[in-house]
Amino acid sequence: MECDKRFRELIDRSFVEEVSEGERRLMHDHIRDCDGCKRYVELTARTIRGLREFTFTSEPDSSAQVREILAHHTATMRQHNVQFRIWAAFAVALSMSFVGSALVYQVTERLAVPMHLDTAQVQAGVLVFWLLPSFCAALFLLAAPRENRGIA
Amino acid sequence: MSALPMTLNITAETETAKIARGLRESDTELLADLVERSQRRLVRYLLYLIGRQDYAEDLAQETWIRVLQRGSQYDGRQRFDLWLFAIARNLAIDYLRKKRKAVQTASSPDDRDEILLVPSSGPSPFEAAAQSEDAIRLAGQLQILPPLYREALLLRFQEDLSLAEIAQVLGAPLTTVTSRIYRGLAALRSAFEEGGDSHGV
Repeated sequence: MECDKRFRELIDRSFVEEVSEGERRLMHDHIRDCDGCKRYVELTARTIRGLREFTFTSEPDSSAQVREILAHHTATMRQHNVQFRIWAAFAVALSMSFVGSALVYQVTERLAVPMHLDTAQVQAGVLVFWLLPSFCAALFLLAAPRENRGIA
Repeated sequence: MSALPMTLNITAETETAKIARGLRESDTELLADLVERSQRRLVRYLLYLIGRQDYAEDLAQETWIRVLQRGSQYDGRQRFDLWLFAIARNLAIDYLRKKRKAVQTASSPDDRDEILLVPSSGPSPFEAAAQSEDAIRLAGQLQILPPLYREALLLRFQEDLSLAEIAQVLGAPLTTVTSRIYRGLAALRSAFEEGGDSHGV
């Protein structure tokens, strides 16, 4: 027996989403007199009930395994992160070392005339007192133990 | 009267905000707690998507790694489990695509054999999990039902998500979600109907 399609849709809707009180009453009035729709309601209710009667079990140690894997990944990620930050700091320190040296050289060159220094002396001074110490400081970032880097 | 729902709402917000902060900081304790709470549901969801217990477990592991890697993308504005399911869904789709591609483009017989080594017969995961006569009858239908419909049915009737929440996980409009649920229900109903062949999807 093929019932009015809109009642079947209404029945479906009543199981899946909200229906208004009026629609609910209309549906119940219809079901009372329609065996086809009554059976349709029973089958739908049975299907949904059946769907809730599945119990899946994951492998007993699966959660523990996942936790272990995540702990390992977290440690690796942190290590990579620290390494990245160290290299970034090194790059910044290195560039500052060269840029700073250029600036110091410019200033010292201006002071060289009143101080009676020649170009070679200025270059040596900048090299010994600025470029080398700052370059060593940048290298220290890479060589020092992690706790002394002030980054990690 | 309205104070209680508001308090609950604030509690829920705090919970997701806490998770978001923990994920940003790769907090291992929080992750362990999330795994403990959601692993079983995640495996079940993946099982409904790909229909294989072993692959579901593997994909669940991958999902958690993805959660760790992309933790900063979770902003705490939606429920964590919805975000988790959405990640799992993307991974499952990638997996199924790769599998299909491997079958279609494999040129040498060896490749095909390798795929055929994966057992596809035997009891379905649904039969093993069925806890009642009715569930056993549904298990067969579930196994042959397209994953799209299985997924919608699981989220609605086992996870008890609202239609709007399902739409969030699926990234699909509400009309699509409802249509998938109705079609899935129609297909499963046939397990109880005489003849068992009406309302097929």
